[in-house]
Amino acid sequence: MIVDFRTAAVAAIICWVTGSLVGLFARQTPAMRFPEYILSFGGSLILLAFIASYWSLLDRPPLRTLGETRLWYAALIPLVGFLVEYRWKITWLKYYCIALAAFFLAINIQHPEVFDKTLMPALQSPWFVPHVVVYLVAYVLLAASSVTALHNVTLQLRSKKNDHGESVSHYLALLGFVLLSFGLIFGALWAKEAWGHYWTWDPKETWAFLSWLAYLAYLHAYRYNIDRSKLQWYLALSFVVLLVCWFGVNYLPSAQNSVHTYTQS
Amino acid sequence: MVVARRQWFQVPWEFRESALVTVCAVIAGFIIQYFLSGRGVVALHLPYNAIALAIFAISVLGIGIAFRGNPVVKWLGGIPLGLCLIVAIALLSLIGGVVPQGEVAAGSISAQLGLNKVFSGRPFAFIIVCFLLNLGLSLSWKLVPFNVRNIQFILFHAGFWIALSCGIFGAPDLQRLVVPIEEGKDNAFGYVMESEIPQRLPFAIFLKDFSLEEYPPNLLRYDTKNNEVLYNPSEPLIQVRKGIRASWDGVAVEVLEYLPFALPGQNGTPEPADRKAGIPFAKVKIVNGAAVSEEWISVPSPMFQPYTASLTADGVLLIMVPGTPRAFKSSVTIQGDDGGQMSALLEVNHPVDFMGWKLYQMGYDQKSGRWSQLSLVEAIRDPWLPAVYLGFFMIMAGNLLFFWNGIKKREVAS
Repeated sequence: MIVDFRTAAVAAIICWVTGSLVGLFARQTPAMRFPEYILSFGGSLILLAFIASYWSLLDRPPLRTLGETRLWYAALIPLVGFLVEYRWKITWLKYYCIALAAFFLAINIQHPEVFDKTLMPALQSPWFVPHVVVYLVAYVLLAASSVTALHNVTLQLRSKKNDHGESVSHYLALLGFVLLSFGLIFGALWAKEAWGHYWTWDPKETWAFLSWLAYLAYLHAYRYNIDRSKLQWYLALSFVVLLVCWFGVNYLPSAQNSVHTYTQS
Repeated sequence: MVVARRQWFQVPWEFRESALVTVCAVIAGFIIQYFLSGRGVVALHLPYNAIALAIFAISVLGIGIAFRGNPVVKWLGGIPLGLCLIVAIALLSLIGGVVPQGEVAAGSISAQLGLNKVFSGRPFAFIIVCFLLNLGLSLSWKLVPFNVRNIQFILFHAGFWIALSCGIFGAPDLQRLVVPIEEGKDNAFGYVMESEIPQRLPFAIFLKDFSLEEYPPNLLRYDTKNNEVLYNPSEPLIQVRKGIRASWDGVAVEVLEYLPFALPGQNGTPEPADRKAGIPFAKVKIVNGAAVSEEWISVPSPMFQPYTASLTADGVLLIMVPGTPRAFKSSVTIQGDDGGQMSALLEVNHPVDFMGWKLYQMGYDQKSGRWSQLSLVEAIRDPWLPAVYLGFFMIMAGNLLFFWNGIKKREVAS
């Protein structure tokens, strides 16, 4: 490998943190904006470059194990933070995103992946990359939505009005839901080719369906004009269901027969 | 907004009535389930399930269009009931996502209530029927009068209705049979999981050849004193390739040569052989302090003892274990009762269609690994699949529009 994981992870975190610090100065001196952007994007670029080299080394997309999905997540979620800052001029989200990304990188440093190039036949399919990537981006957006909602909740507790933040959490959830639906259906179409049936109530499928229902319920509650500020609590907590689906399923009693437990790491 | 305290069942009905009805449906489902000792819902087969579904669909649309002003019908197709039913489906799915699904001891409370088969139980069936009613009514109001602006709503909701109803009403028509075939023989009988009685298929499958490809083997250590493989799960596996190095407790190993398919020659030295018969061999250099040796090692073979190399004086050997399967395939000829014939290569993720059935490479004799003479083929027939897929594609089309409209609205909002 060109660089080892620990170096890449630490370099990325340093880039994000210094980028954020420079950003604080940039409020007074607009000239500092440019180095801020370079550093912030640099962190994610380092990780993406690492993923690319890892991919070529493995001879398979690094999307199989939980640790590998955490790696993608860590690279992508700060980008959502920067995009939201660029699009809606909301600066605080990126700090949460960077903290989340650093947290996931820290888990991966603590539990180094067993270096395994093998890919079982069922995963060798053109559906593999779209299914996992769509889900990853959905999770990234919904995590950002959940974080935004959490921020809105803390603002509410301090009795501050924040319509803008509420519309951001809503649109992130909406986009996340759309991708979640695609991920679910791609998974069903792939399952038909690989396992013979599109839906077998495998524990991972059941939890994916549950998380989809959670956001489906949110969208209908929103449509029914239920108090938006109360829905922020709901959005903040919905992500817990996604986390169970992502990591937790492996630890549930129902998982013993799951076709989705490729590795436990 | 100040809301005067509503009385129960004061029109328009809202969340309270919806929650009550939903809870009653779930409880009624569990009670009936309990007294029927966990037996599932009666399964209707084609054409009866299709007729039942058609009658249900027409009634729902008819009621929705004819009684759209009726407050009870309005409530039945409204968001409050829909939300309560979504929550109920989610909670029942939660049971199914936590309690292991499958056979349990008869008579246990889990079996009595059907918790081990939530998705074929009565509570789930009742809620799904209510949900299809709710969804269908809301759909009927957007369908008539038709308006292009409602296309996103119609695609998503109708797609969901079609996929869900056809998936559930059509489930009894799904046939999944496992067909075990030995190399050089044919078989026209398949077995349903958990049943001993074979069923005749309308065709016979002849297995010409089963082949399995493996990833390169891995290097491991074997302790002959304790008869155990020394393996630390947190260490990466060492996949054999030319030039790879490893070291354990000061003993260095380097792979000098790797032959993926070889057999021992006259004097025991491995020589390249054909893919079918050959097994992986590797020539390794072992450096233990001043002692340097070069030896051949191999994976186990059904024909002869594996080649191993001594690593240390106290009986630790260097061994090579086969890699995990990379691909396995069956070359078959299928002979239909109607005279049709087809040759095909069955492989995981590459099923083959024949006479309305889909044939899948499912498994093999795992004990024999790549020497397996047996291939397990799964034959699946699902006449409702096109309808379910139509639903899926409508949901995806609706979603694309949802995404597009979401972005457009966002631009207005910002």
